[in-house]
Amino acid sequence: MENNELEVLKKALEREKSARKQAELILEQKSRNLLLISRELKLANQELTKLLNEKSTQLSGVFKNINDAYVVFNLSGDILEMNNNAKELFNHYSDSTLNIKKLVHKKDLEYSNQFFKQLEETGSFTNFTSRIVTSTKSTKWVQINASLIYSHSKKILGAQGIVRDISKIKKLELQKENILKELENSNNQLQEYAHIVSHDLKSPLRSLHALCSWIKEDNIDSFNETTLQNFNLIENTLENMENLISNVLEYSSAGYKIDEYEQVDLNKLLLNLKRTLFIPEHIKVNIQENLPTIKAEKTKIQQIFQNLISNSIKFIDKENGLIEICCNEKKYHYEFSISDNGIGVDKQYHNKIFNIFQSLNRNDDSTGVGLSIVKKIVNLYEGEIWLDSKLGKGTTFYFTIKK
Amino acid sequence: MEKTLRILLVEDNLIEIMKMKRTISLLKLNHTINEAKNGEDALEFLKDRSKIPDIILLDLNMPKINGIEFLKIIKANDDLKHIPTIILTTSSNQKDILECYKTGMSGYVLKPLKYEDYVKKIETVLSYWSINELNKV
Repeated sequence: MENNELEVLKKALEREKSARKQAELILEQKSRNLLLISRELKLANQELTKLLNEKSTQLSGVFKNINDAYVVFNLSGDILEMNNNAKELFNHYSDSTLNIKKLVHKKDLEYSNQFFKQLEETGSFTNFTSRIVTSTKSTKWVQINASLIYSHSKKILGAQGIVRDISKIKKLELQKENILKELENSNNQLQEYAHIVSHDLKSPLRSLHALCSWIKEDNIDSFNETTLQNFNLIENTLENMENLISNVLEYSSAGYKIDEYEQVDLNKLLLNLKRTLFIPEHIKVNIQENLPTIKAEKTKIQQIFQNLISNSIKFIDKENGLIEICCNEKKYHYEFSISDNGIGVDKQYHNKIFNIFQSLNRNDDSTGVGLSIVKKIVNLYEGEIWLDSKLGKGTTFYFTIKK
Repeated sequence: MEKTLRILLVEDNLIEIMKMKRTISLLKLNHTINEAKNGEDALEFLKDRSKIPDIILLDLNMPKINGIEFLKIIKANDDLKHIPTIILTTSSNQKDILECYKTGMSGYVLKPLKYEDYVKKIETVLSYWSINELNKV
């Protein structure tokens, strides 16, 4: 009995021992895992710190290398921090405190106050352009974009701004403005000049005409046929001369662009033209329906159509004349066409006919200015003009007007 | 009944003056023509209140005081601004027309090339102003 009990106890003890051993083994395994995990964690942490450091060095690099001046200032305008570009921009190399509001040029002060007020009220301002006076008293044009900096608790700490030196751009802008003004002036002068010249040239023609008709009148009984004929020739020549002067003036005015464009309903315009132009009975004018309304100067657009239609009328030799006006809408422009069944234009003259005073058929009502005016106006609207023609069959003029 | 007008022609061109005179005699009109060859002369002429004309025919292109300046001067003068002033010119310059219109013109006539056309235009202008009851004002 005793032996038996001992045996049982021994076995129990052995079981316990092996169980503990197993537990110890599991424990060991677990703690090894734990160690590994904590090591991994440590590594991740290190990496994060490294990353963080890297980022902030990158950021400070950005501040250093940014092409524009960067400043941090408090709400009273004192600059707390600035990068090298800012120092260069403000010509400020000492440690004394600069005040951004005080840098602003006297003439722009009132205007700048508005912007700083806006900064406080809305949290930012963009593209504030003004003159500043740097520490070395030179004046520069700058453009500032600024925004407020807040703390975690949403308290306003100050503001940061990017200051861009736009002196060069501003200088170019001013130059451009001046050049434009000069151009406008000389354009006006030219216009004025054309008027004066045409006036001064026409006056003597008028006088000559009056003198001729008086001589004729006063000597109606004593002049013979030939002399009278010659006097008529003088008068005709004077008329031609006057026409030429008028046309030169018209041509020089055609290139004069005004900025006031209006909506021009081409349906109305062409209907009106059809009514007012002298169209012989044997010529039919067909106008396409639903023409567009374009933004342009009405008189100039009218002149294009008027000159082209008159041109077609002039050169129609058929018994039943036909003029057709169409419009083709393209993506960026309108393409108009005016076709006729007239005498046509030989290919070799297709470019020449747009030159001033180039009239292929010399007759009294053609001074060769009409088409050159059309071309000038079309070019003014950044369009093109060309033609398609068959001798004896007819001609189609095409032109485009930018939308 | 049409009445005779006292006309002041402000014109520096000798032949233009001859044209006006010849036109009036050709049309057998009894209007009186006084001529002034520039703005200064015209202003001098107008100083004599007894000679105040019924209408002024004014050329725009003149030396010294030009037509528009002359128009401005008389339209600013209380004694003279009532006189209808008709512009006779070659210039169809939009700017000039607008300026004259603003200042207060009574007509803008373009001088045509042909003398016959000129006679027709002047006849129309003068007959219009002859039927106006100017003297009673």
